[in-house]
Amino acid sequence: MIVLGLESSAHTFGAGVVKNGRVLANEKSMYRIGSGGMIPAKVARFHAENARFVIEKALESSGLGFVDIEGIGYTKGPGLGPCLQVAQLYAKTMARRLKVGIAPVNHCVAHIEITRHTEGLRDPVMLYVSGGNSQILKLVETPYLHYRVIGETLDIGVGNMLDAFARKMGLDPAWGSSVERCADKGRYIKLPYNVKGMDFSFTGLLTKASGLIEHKESNDLCFSLQETSFSMLCEATERALMLTKSREIGLCGGVAQNKRLADMLRAVAEEHNARFGCAPNEFNADNGAMIAYVAEKMLASGFSIGPEGCDVKQRYRSNEARVFR
Amino acid sequence: MRLIGEGAEARIYAGTILGFGMAIKTRHRKNYRIEILDSELRRLRTRNEARIMLRLAGSGIRVPRLFAVGRFSIYMEMLDGILLRDADIYASHMHSAGVMLGRMHSQNVAHGDFTPANLMLCGRGLYAIDFGLSMMGNSTEEKAIDLLLMKRAVDPKLYKSFIKAYSGSAGAADIIKRSEEMERRGRYQVRTLAAV
Repeated sequence: MIVLGLESSAHTFGAGVVKNGRVLANEKSMYRIGSGGMIPAKVARFHAENARFVIEKALESSGLGFVDIEGIGYTKGPGLGPCLQVAQLYAKTMARRLKVGIAPVNHCVAHIEITRHTEGLRDPVMLYVSGGNSQILKLVETPYLHYRVIGETLDIGVGNMLDAFARKMGLDPAWGSSVERCADKGRYIKLPYNVKGMDFSFTGLLTKASGLIEHKESNDLCFSLQETSFSMLCEATERALMLTKSREIGLCGGVAQNKRLADMLRAVAEEHNARFGCAPNEFNADNGAMIAYVAEKMLASGFSIGPEGCDVKQRYRSNEARVFR
Repeated sequence: MRLIGEGAEARIYAGTILGFGMAIKTRHRKNYRIEILDSELRRLRTRNEARIMLRLAGSGIRVPRLFAVGRFSIYMEMLDGILLRDADIYASHMHSAGVMLGRMHSQNVAHGDFTPANLMLCGRGLYAIDFGLSMMGNSTEEKAIDLLLMKRAVDPKLYKSFIKAYSGSAGAADIIKRSEEMERRGRYQVRTLAAV
């Protein structure tokens, strides 16, 4: 089955083409965030202006035409309302015109599923870390197959925390990667460490680190911020691994592109003789291919819903979405 | 020393001291964390746990007797008994557990993981163990979590006996009320507001 997937939950508009589980194309255009963060309506307009070109480019690089598409997937949520609506509108319109099936996909589940696919993980404990979300999840069968949240942030996502700090420091707020670069050769400064069982929180850490900006070296702060927050995530994931007795750890989401975090979590896995998997960066950044991948599985297993039933949901939790084999 | 238990952050060894059985809980090095952060965390947590055990023992609550505290290790009495989790649980056990938690909360200690897996049946009665997630403080929310965890771990009839015994302690009504509120607002719905 050839499926087109559209993603526009935040700053990226992505279009991907998947055929029988194989990614044929994965194109995107990214909104450059200025000093003030994302203004949903502005980002949505940017997506609306770029959507057509991104979709055409994806089809071009897959060597297919519009008429070859046999199904369409789009991100239902979670994300920014006005942004989500762009992919939704394109998906519904195309599904009507092409008379093909349409599938609303959960963004978090798509990140997890594509990682499980590329890394060959069967039943891992997944750490999903992005701007707005930070969760530890695992598949459960009942009452239907879905991801259960076994631990998560009690306030903001870790990516959000790193970005907010980068902005306050006057660094380039480019999805935390500026903090990673700045952290090089830093020395450790004590910051609040907050893990409760398998949950964690980041606002105290952000407040404390922000208050030190005037008094400490920037690379020391970035280093300590990363070390502290990533240690919290690793500790909670390790606890989840022991509790669930799983033999695999997966890492996905935007912050999974951070090399230090991947190295730390790999060390956790090694200590417990568990396998570790983290997808290539292309799939950890927001992208359309992961949406197409999940949509194909949904449509192939008989999921069917008319374009009328296709909504967006800003707070679409990962544990609300049904997973298809 | 013989390894008798392993958790996510600590290992328990069996030993002896002056003929007494001794359990040694050691927080081991975590290689994924930088050394300075790792040792700081292990040191503070070990100290916190020992302090809580002392406070509870001092107010007559049954916890393993403390022999000594090292930088990352707690040396304590080895209990001879079985975990309540592995025993047939009777209403009388839950009654003892309820009274015990009530007294713990009056000492401003929230256990953090108060379930049958952390209660031990010994000849002299019921003992509470593992204060690795415990907190000192007067937080109603933390105390209410102790109730909710127990509620999730045992069947409703047993929980009833537990709450009946617990409600006899000072300030219990507020904490029970809070636990019911927390249950209504649902574990995840609350968080979603901030998680978007």
